[in-house]
Amino acid sequence: MKLRKVWTGLAITAMLGGIFVGQPARAADTSLVIGSVLDIDKTDPHTATNFATVRGLGLVYGSLIEIGAKNAIKGGLATSWIFSKDGKTLTLNLRQGVKFHDGSTFDADDAKASLERILDTKTGAAARANIATITSIKADGRKLILNMSIPNAPILAALEGVNMAMLSKADIDAGKIGGANKPNGTGPYKWVSWEPTQSLKLTANSDYFMGEPKIKDVTIRVIPNEASILSALNAGTIGMGIVTDPLIARQVKSNLKMFKTPALGYYALQFNTKVAPLNDKNVRLAIQCAIDRNELINTALLGQGQVTGPITSPAFRSDPLARPCPKQDLAKAKEYLAAAGKSSGVTFKTLVTSTGWATSVAMAQNLKAQLAKVNITMDLDIVEQATYVPRWLAADFTATLANNGGRIDPDTMYTRYFTSTGNLNKVATYSSATLDANFIKGKASGKVADRKSSYVAISKELEDNAVWVWLATPFEYRVATKKLRGFSALANGSLLQLRSAQLG
Amino acid sequence: MAFLKRLPSVLTTLFGISVFVFVVLRVIPGDTITSSLGIETGVLTPEQIESLRKYYGIDQPLIGQYLSWMSSFLSGDLGFSYSTGAPVWDLTKSALLVTMQLALFGTLLGVLIGISIGMFSARKPGSARDFLGQFFGLLALAIPGFVLSTTIVTVMANKFQYFPNGYEYMTPFEDLSMNLQQMLFPSLVLGIAVAAPIMRTTRSALLETVDKDFIRTAYGKGVKPRVVRLKHVLRNSLIPIVTMTGIQFGYLLGGAVIVEKIFALPGMGRQILDAINKREYATVQSSIMVFAILFVTINLITDWVYRKVDPRIK
Repeated sequence: MKLRKVWTGLAITAMLGGIFVGQPARAADTSLVIGSVLDIDKTDPHTATNFATVRGLGLVYGSLIEIGAKNAIKGGLATSWIFSKDGKTLTLNLRQGVKFHDGSTFDADDAKASLERILDTKTGAAARANIATITSIKADGRKLILNMSIPNAPILAALEGVNMAMLSKADIDAGKIGGANKPNGTGPYKWVSWEPTQSLKLTANSDYFMGEPKIKDVTIRVIPNEASILSALNAGTIGMGIVTDPLIARQVKSNLKMFKTPALGYYALQFNTKVAPLNDKNVRLAIQCAIDRNELINTALLGQGQVTGPITSPAFRSDPLARPCPKQDLAKAKEYLAAAGKSSGVTFKTLVTSTGWATSVAMAQNLKAQLAKVNITMDLDIVEQATYVPRWLAADFTATLANNGGRIDPDTMYTRYFTSTGNLNKVATYSSATLDANFIKGKASGKVADRKSSYVAISKELEDNAVWVWLATPFEYRVATKKLRGFSALANGSLLQLRSAQLG
Repeated sequence: MAFLKRLPSVLTTLFGISVFVFVVLRVIPGDTITSSLGIETGVLTPEQIESLRKYYGIDQPLIGQYLSWMSSFLSGDLGFSYSTGAPVWDLTKSALLVTMQLALFGTLLGVLIGISIGMFSARKPGSARDFLGQFFGLLALAIPGFVLSTTIVTVMANKFQYFPNGYEYMTPFEDLSMNLQQMLFPSLVLGIAVAAPIMRTTRSALLETVDKDFIRTAYGKGVKPRVVRLKHVLRNSLIPIVTMTGIQFGYLLGGAVIVEKIFALPGMGRQILDAINKREYATVQSSIMVFAILFVTINLITDWVYRKVDPRIK
C-alpha cells in the first residue's frame, strides 16, 4: 500500500515537473512576434477599417503615396507627381521594377484597375468618398493620370494607406480579392498564413523595392488582453506589443522600449446641434468653458494624451489656445448658461461606448463630474460598441463621446463631416456656407502655406460655435524588446517602418 | 429507451434555442456591415450598402434567412464566416477542442480539489478544519476569475519570465508538453472556481449521509473509518456531487471566455464573443447550436451516470 503511494507521488511530481520542461527556444533575431488584442477581420484592403486589419495588411500591400517621418507625404509606388495648372488633373509617375508577391510586375494598368475598384460602388470601399472627385483614369506607360471634377490637391494624401492599396489587375479581373484568397501585394512582407483568432504570419519580400527587410519573419499574434501582452513582453515570448490602454502603457518598465507618438485620432464630445438643449450655441459654449481638458487627461487618460483642437493633421494642427475658454472658466460657463436662459442648469444625455476604447467610460464619468460644477447634468447612456455605431451613424444621440480617426490631411479628415454634402454631415449636425467655401478653397492649392488660412478659418468657426468640444489626442504605443532597432512609430498606427528595422 | 423518451423534449429545446438565438441577434442594434466598417459605414452610398447587404445575405426576409440557415445546419453545413473566409465548422472544431480540454481539465481539478476539501471539512463539522475548508469555499467563490488569472499571469511573467500562453497555441497532438503548459494555469483558475460549489455540495451531502443508519451499522461492524468514508459515505453522497459537476462542466463550456482571453486560448467562448461583436450571424448561431447540442448531451450523460451511481434511479 505504502509502495503504491510512493509511486503515485512520484508520477504526479514527474508530470508536474515534466510539463515545465522544453519551453520552445526564443525566436531567432530575424523573427519578430507582435502581440495584438485585435485580430484582422478581412483580407480585402479596400474595405478594411479595423485597426488590426489596416496594420496587418499595411505590411503586405503598397500604395501610391506614403506617410513618412514627421508625417510628411512621400512617394510610395509613385515616385513623383504633378498637378495641371487648373488643379483638375494629377499625373503620377510610377516606380519601375516593382513586383507583386506572385512575381508579376506592377504597372499603371494595375494602379488604374485598383482605383476603379475603389470607385466601384459594388466594392463597398471604405475610402471611396476621398477620391470620388475622380471622373476618369488613364494608364499611360509608367504614368497614371487622374482627371477630377474640381481642383483637388488633398487627393494626394487620400491616395495613402491600405484602403488605397494597389492590387494586381489580374487578381481584380479574376475576382481573387478578399475572402479566402491569399493577399497579393507589393509590400515589404508576403502573406504566409492567417489562423483566425490566433495569428497572422508574414515573411520578408525579397523583391521589395526598398530591399528585403532584415526582419525575415513577422507574426502578429492575437493576445486578447493588453495586460497579457505586457506579460508576454516581460517573459520574452513576444518581441513587440500593440498597446492602447494608458494604464498598461504606464506599467512598461525599463527592460522594454516604448515607442510613443501622438495619434491623428482625437476624442471629442460630439453634439447634436439640432436637438435641445444643444441646439443653443450658448449652452454648447457653456459646456466647452466648463471642461478642464488637462484634468480629463490627467485622470481618465492617466496623463497619456495632449489637448487638441479640431485639426490634428500635423502640418495644419489647430491651436488649442485659439478657442473660447482655452482653459476651464466656470464663471464664463455660467454666463453662457445665463445667456441661454438656463441659469438653473441643463440636462442632456450622452451616448458612450463601453467597449470602443479602453478609457471611454472613465472619460465620460470625468466629464460628467466636471460639468456638474456648473449645474450641467450629463446623463450617460452607455452601450457596447456594436450598438453604439448604428446609433452614431443615425445621429441618434443628443451628445456622444467619440474617438474619431484622424487623417494626414484636414480635407479628407473633415470634408465628410462639415461640408453640407458630406457623407457624415448628418452625424456632425453642422454645416455653413462659409465652411463649404473654406473647404473648397483649401483644396485648390497643393502648397501647405497657401492652404493653412482656410483650415485656420474652419477650425475657428467650429470652435467659436462649439459645434463639438474637441478634447485630446491619445498616444499610439508600441512596446518592444530593447533589441529592436531602426523602428519608428507613425501617427497613423502603421507598422510599415518594420521594413527598415532589425533585431539585435 | 430512456433516451428515446427524452428525445421530443430535447428536440423542442434545441428548436427553441435556435429560434431564440436567431431572433436575439437580429433584435440587437447593428448588423454585419456596421460592425465590420464601424463609423466608416456612414461614407458608403446607398448602392454600396445594398451590395454589401446582398453579399452578407441580410437582404432576405427573416423567415427565409432562418430556414436557409437551419436547412444548411441540419445538412451539416454550419455556414461561412465572412470575416475570415473560412467555413464555421473549420473554426468551430479547433475552438471546440480547446474549450473541451479546458473544461475537462478545469472540472477534473475542481472535482479533485472540491471533493477533497469537502471531505476534509465534513470530518469534524464546526471545527477549525471545517472553518478552514469553508473559508476556502467562500474565497474561491468570491475571487473573480479575471483577478486570479491576471495575478497568475503577471506574477509568473514578471518574477519568473514564464508565460507559455504568449507562444503560439499548440494542440495536444502538435506539442503535448507545450499544450499542457498552456492549459495548466487556465485550468487551475477554472478548477478553483468549480471547486467551491463542489466543495460546499460535498460537505453538505456528506454530513447528511453520515447520520444515516447504514453508516452507523458499518462502523458497528468494525469497518475501517477510511473505508466507511470512501466506500459508504462518499459513494452514497455522489448524486448531488455529480449533478453539481455536470452543471459546472456545462458552465465552463460557455463561461470560460474571460480566462480564454487572458490566457490567449482560441476557444469557443472567444469565438462566439468575437462573432457577436462582428454580428457574424452564421458563426454565432451555429456555434451556439453546437454548444446547445453538447450541453444537452452532457445532461443525458449525467442522467446515465446517476443510474450507474444509484441503480434505484430508473
